[in-house]
Amino acid sequence: MFALRGIAVSLTCFVLLYCLLSALVAIVWRPLRFLHVAQQSVADLLFELRILPLLASVIITFALVVPSFRLLEPRSHREGMGAMPLALGVCALLLIACGCCRVIAAQTRSTRMVKRWLEGARALKTNAGAAIIFQSQGEAPPLTLVGVRKPRVLVSESTVALLSNQELQIALKHELQHMKSRDNLKKLIFRFCPFPGMARLESAWLQAAELAADDAAVSNLCDAVDLAAALVKLSRLVPVEVAPVCAAGFVAGSLSKRVAQLLAWDEASKERRVRVRTWFVVPLVVATSLLTTIAYGPVLAVTHEVTEWFVR
Amino acid sequence: MSKAFSIFGSSSRPQLGPFEQKLLQEIWSLGSATVRELVADGKIHQAYTTVLTTVHRLYKKGLLDRAAEGRAFRYTPRHTAEELQRVTALESIRQLLGSGDASAMPLSYLVEALSAHDAQLLDELQRLVERKRRELRDQEKTREQH
Repeated sequence: MFALRGIAVSLTCFVLLYCLLSALVAIVWRPLRFLHVAQQSVADLLFELRILPLLASVIITFALVVPSFRLLEPRSHREGMGAMPLALGVCALLLIACGCCRVIAAQTRSTRMVKRWLEGARALKTNAGAAIIFQSQGEAPPLTLVGVRKPRVLVSESTVALLSNQELQIALKHELQHMKSRDNLKKLIFRFCPFPGMARLESAWLQAAELAADDAAVSNLCDAVDLAAALVKLSRLVPVEVAPVCAAGFVAGSLSKRVAQLLAWDEASKERRVRVRTWFVVPLVVATSLLTTIAYGPVLAVTHEVTEWFVR
Repeated sequence: MSKAFSIFGSSSRPQLGPFEQKLLQEIWSLGSATVRELVADGKIHQAYTTVLTTVHRLYKKGLLDRAAEGRAFRYTPRHTAEELQRVTALESIRQLLGSGDASAMPLSYLVEALSAHDAQLLDELQRLVERKRRELRDQEKTREQH
């Protein structure tokens, strides 16, 4: 009974924290879109904000809620369990199960489609990379990065025929940037933490990720014009089927915005753009961890008080 | 509103004739009216009985409500002009999608219309890219000449 109560209380805290933080994030993320920093930083910040509710609720649950219950809860067999922690515990389990099912479904569909697209495909020799770029046949999308563990870039026959060599090279560089940023893995993580109202944040992240990949692939104005030309050409090819979650298609996000950004490409402005480095967060994390370690006893006591309220 | 939807939803949807439309416009502008008031207003140049019959038809079509006022009825529009426009537009799309032997055909027209819009945007973007390319080539030529 003690263990069951502990699990129920922990799951209750987890689901409440997750919902509260998710609702908060769904409201406060919008100003981030207008930050005047490098697109990669915008994409990183949006991704971090999107997974913050899950990460924070897991850390708080395992670092505070579980130890406070184990150390401070009297092991009495008489104390019953309220309906609220039980119901919320079930909600938490359903949420986790839903996340797992979404991830498995997305991964299975992606694997099935990639297997079909790779039938009869041959490795393409390019300057951009080796053994990860394949020219596919049949119904494959024009140009896409597929897979999470073993990512590969698929190029359709029509794409090879339609684009000039420079355009193809720069378009491949764009896809390889997605691979470097592990964007397919990020998409899969989004599937694991569903919450209503997050679709706009995810779509803003996708747009920022596309702009960031464009930005990283281009090193001069000629490249930028070639990439814009490739983008316009491939936008005319209608995909035969909807791409799976674990795929980063070349034609994604707002086409007009991407072409406008590429045509206005300027080396000086690219260098001027600030990149928000992740290590800025390190002092904050260290300070929080230090404070929590010093005041761990009182923090646990407060946490236990709060969890007691749920049990009652 | 539900009655209006049920009218528009039926396959034999009654169309509004020009005089019915004119009367409806008049009642919208007045807010509510009796047949006598409509005739006396001077904007409708038809006999009393014609107006009476047409207003009654509009009532039957579910576009007007009526309340007894002495020996006559006072008619008020059931929907605003905007609501009616919206319902009519929805009905037009529904009819378009439901018409023809091949039910997918009208949808393909819609897709075609949307694709035409997309194609225009792509043409415009293509022109911008080509212009930028020409500018770049010209700059290179000028640099080579210098």
